[in-house]
Amino acid sequence: MNNNFLEIKNVDFKIGNKTKVKNVTFSIENEGDIICLLGPSGIGKTTILRTIAGLENIDKGSIILKGKTLSSEKIRIEPENRNISLSFQENSLFPHYSIKKNILLGADRNKAIKKQKITFDDLVDFLNISEILNKYPHEVSAGEAQRASLARSLITQPDLLLLDEPLSNVDQSFKEEIQEKLKKLLKDLKITTIIVTHDSYEAFYLGSKCGIILDQELKQFDDPYNVYHLPNSIEVVNFLNRGTLIPAEVTSPKSLENKDLGTITGNFVKSFPIGSKVKLLVQPEDLHHDDKSNLKFHIIDRKFRGTNFIYTLKTPSDTIIPVLVHSHHIHQHEVDEKFGIKRPIHIDHIVCF
Amino acid sequence: MKINIWHLSSLLISFLVLIPIITVFTSFFENTSNYYEVLKNTFLMEYIFNSIVLLISVLILTFLIGTGTAYLVSFYKFPGCNFFKWALILSFAVPPYIYAYSLTAFFENYGTAFTILKNLLGDANYNKNIPKFDGMIGAILSVSFSLYAYVYILARASFLYQSQNLIDLGKNLGFSKFSTFYKIILPAARPAIIAGLSLVAMETLAEFGAVDFFSINTLTTGIYNSWIHFDDLAFANRISFFLLLFIFSLFILENLSRRKAKYHLNSRGGFKNKVQNKLFGRKAFLASMFCFLIFFISFLFPLGQMLYWTIKFPQNLFDLKIIELMLNTSYLVILSSLILIIFSLISNYGNRVSRNKILNFLSTLSISGYAIPGVILAIAFITFIAWFDNNIIKFLEFNSIKKVFIGSILGLVIVYFVRFYSLAFNGIKSGYEKINISVDESAYLLGYSKRKTFMNIHVPFLRNSLVFIIILISLEILRELPITLILRPFNFETFATTAYISASEDLLEAAAVPSLFLILIASFLIIVTSKYILKESYE
Repeated sequence: MNNNFLEIKNVDFKIGNKTKVKNVTFSIENEGDIICLLGPSGIGKTTILRTIAGLENIDKGSIILKGKTLSSEKIRIEPENRNISLSFQENSLFPHYSIKKNILLGADRNKAIKKQKITFDDLVDFLNISEILNKYPHEVSAGEAQRASLARSLITQPDLLLLDEPLSNVDQSFKEEIQEKLKKLLKDLKITTIIVTHDSYEAFYLGSKCGIILDQELKQFDDPYNVYHLPNSIEVVNFLNRGTLIPAEVTSPKSLENKDLGTITGNFVKSFPIGSKVKLLVQPEDLHHDDKSNLKFHIIDRKFRGTNFIYTLKTPSDTIIPVLVHSHHIHQHEVDEKFGIKRPIHIDHIVCF
Repeated sequence: MKINIWHLSSLLISFLVLIPIITVFTSFFENTSNYYEVLKNTFLMEYIFNSIVLLISVLILTFLIGTGTAYLVSFYKFPGCNFFKWALILSFAVPPYIYAYSLTAFFENYGTAFTILKNLLGDANYNKNIPKFDGMIGAILSVSFSLYAYVYILARASFLYQSQNLIDLGKNLGFSKFSTFYKIILPAARPAIIAGLSLVAMETLAEFGAVDFFSINTLTTGIYNSWIHFDDLAFANRISFFLLLFIFSLFILENLSRRKAKYHLNSRGGFKNKVQNKLFGRKAFLASMFCFLIFFISFLFPLGQMLYWTIKFPQNLFDLKIIELMLNTSYLVILSSLILIIFSLISNYGNRVSRNKILNFLSTLSISGYAIPGVILAIAFITFIAWFDNNIIKFLEFNSIKKVFIGSILGLVIVYFVRFYSLAFNGIKSGYEKINISVDESAYLLGYSKRKTFMNIHVPFLRNSLVFIIILISLEILRELPITLILRPFNFETFATTAYISASEDLLEAAAVPSLFLILIASFLIIVTSKYILKESYE
C-alpha cells in the first residue's frame, strides 16, 4: 500500500453523462504539496476539481484522500463530509451576508476540531480586503469577491484546498504579490492544494508539479521544469506555445542536421535511430544571437517582453524560428533586417518527436 | 430513475393542473342536451365573434396606452414622471367588473355625470348629450383600462434596460427621434411587449365579471350561463374547448416571447445607463397630461365614483359585514398562500438539487394553470369531482365526496391553487435564479447539509420573495370572481362576490361599498410592492 496523500486512479471525469477527461491517474505525495492543472478553457479542469470536492459523481476509478476512499464506483462521500474546500472561479459568496460574515462562516467549520493556524485578521491583511469587510457581495468588484472567496476557503484549513482560477479576476499589478504570499501561506500552513489555471507562468511558479490536460486526457504530469523543457507530446508543445517544431534528420547519437541551421549538437531526451526524420523543438532560449555570425535570417517580427525581446525569424525554407535576446543587448534589430545566429548550435536537451 | 419527494409533489401538482384540461377535452365528445344543437347554429358563432372583437380592441388599446406611458416615463423627465412610474400600475387595483360598474354609474341616465352637470349648469335634460359607454364599448374600455398595466410594466422594464448605446447609435446614424423609437427602441422591446399583450389577451378571454355585467355573450359567459341557467355541464365544457384552443395559442406565443424578452439585455461590459431627456414647456405639459389622464381614467375615476356612492348612500356601508368579508378573504389568502408556497418551495428546491429533465418538464406543465380561465377551472373541477364520485366512489361504496369538494373551502383552495400556482412557483424561481448554484456548493463544502443550506442560505435569501408572493396572491384572491362565485360555500362571501351579486341585482349603489374596499385594499398592497413589481419584471 502506498502512502500518497491524494490518489486519483483511472478516473473518468464527467458532467452528467458527458465525459470531460478520461482515465486520469496522478497523485500528490506529501501533505502541503501544491500542484497545478493547466489546459485550455472548457477542457474539464473545473470538472476535475468539482469531482474531487464531491460535487460530481464518478462511475470509474477512485479518489483516495489520506488513505480514505472518497469516490469510486460504489462509494460516494457527500461534499459536506470531505473537509475539502473549493474556491470557485465565479462569485460564490452568500449574497445575503456581508463579506466578513461570509469569511467567518468558513472559520466555523473547523473551530471544534482544529486549532486555528491562521487568524481572520491575518487573512484580511494578507488578501488586502479590510476595506470591503462590511460590504455585501454585490457591492464589491469581481477581484475583491474572488479574494474574499479565497479567504473563506483558506480559513477553513481543509485537508485539501481546490482553487479554480483563483487569481483570474485579480489586477495584474497585484497578482504577483498575491501569488508570492499565497505560495508562502500554503507552505507555512501545510495546506495541500490543487490549483486550476490557464496561466502557465502562474502554474510554473505555484506548483511543485503541473498537469497538462488536452484532448480529454492528462497529457503530462511532471515538474514545471520538465513540462516546459521536456514536453512529452506535440500537443503539449503547441499548448504551451513557447517554441517551434522544425524538420531535422538524426545524424549521430548526439547530433542532428537541419537544412537551414546546419548541424545541431546536444543530448537527446529520447533516442532515435540514426537517419530518422524528426521534428525538433526549438524554444526561444535555445538559439543565441551573434552579430558576427554568417548564419543570418530575416526578422519578420519582434516582441518586446520587458526583460527580453523575442525575434521571429524566417529561414530560406520558410521555417519560423523564435530567438530570445536580453533587452539590454547592445543594439536592437528592426523587422526586415538580417539577424545572426551563433554557431556552432548546441542545445542542452534535444526534444524530438 | 429514483422517485423522491420532489417527483411526487411535482406529479401531484401536474395532475391537478391536467384535470381541467383533460376534463374539457374528454367532455367535448360527450352527449349534451338539445340546447347545444340550437346554440351551435345560433349563439356559438356570436360567442366566438364577440370574444374576438373584444380581444382585438383590448389589445390595440392596451398596446397604445401601455407602450405610450412606458415610453414617456422611461425616456423623458417631466413634472410628475417619478410619481407616474408607480402610480400607473395602480389600475391593477380596479378589476374590470368594478370599472364597468363605475362607467355605468357615471354615464347612465341620471347618473353621476348628470348630477355634476346639473349642479354646475342647473336643471336641464342632459341625458341625451351624455355618451353611453355600455355594451361592447363599455366592456372594451373596462377591460383595457384595468389590464394595460401588464403591457406598461413589461414594456417599461424593457425600455429601462435598453442601453443608451443603442439610442446613441441611432443618433449617429442620423435617425430622428421618431425613427429611433420606431426602428430601434420598439423592435428591441417587441418580445416584452408581446409577452405583455399575451397576458392581456389571456385575461381578456378569461374575463367574466365585466362582460357579464354588460350582457355581452362571449365564450366565458357562455360557459357560465350554460352551467348556471341550463344546467348543462357537458355543453359548458364544449365551449371551454373552443376557449382553451385560443388560450393555448396565446400561451405558446407568450412563452416564446418571454424566452426572447431579454435578448437585448447586456448585463456586463458595454451597457450604458440611459439618459432621460428633460422635457420643457408644451412638451412637458403634454407628457404630464397624457400620463395623468391615463392615471385618472384608470384609477382615480373608478375610485372616485365608488367613494362618491359610498358617501351618498352611507346605509350600504353600515349594512356591509366588513369584518366578516375581511376574515373570509384573509382565511382564503392564508390557506392558499401556505399551500402554494410549500409546494412551490418543494418543487423549486427539487429542481435545483436534482437537475432532472422530467422534473423540469413537470414543473413547466404545472405552471400552465394560470392560462386557463377561472370559469373553466371551476366547471371542469366540478365535472371531474362529479365523474369521480359517480364512477369511482360509488363503485367502492364510499360516501359521496361531492360535498367535501364542491361548495367548500377545500374545493375553492384547490382550484385557486391550480390558477395561482405559477405566481408562487415563478416568484420563488426568480428568487432562486439570483442564487448562483455555486453558492449551494460552497455551503456543502463548508460542511452544511442540504437541510441546513436550505434553512440558513435559501430561506433568508428568499424571504422578500415570499412576502412578495403572499401579497400577489392576496391581490389575486381579493379580485378573483368566477372561481369564488362558482365554488364558494353557501353564505360565504368575499368583497368581489358581494359587489357582483349587488350589481347583478341592479343595486349598483350597494356594489359600491365592497368595490371601494376592494380597490383600497388592493391599492395598499400594490403600493407596498410597487418597487418590487417594477423591479421583478426585468429580473
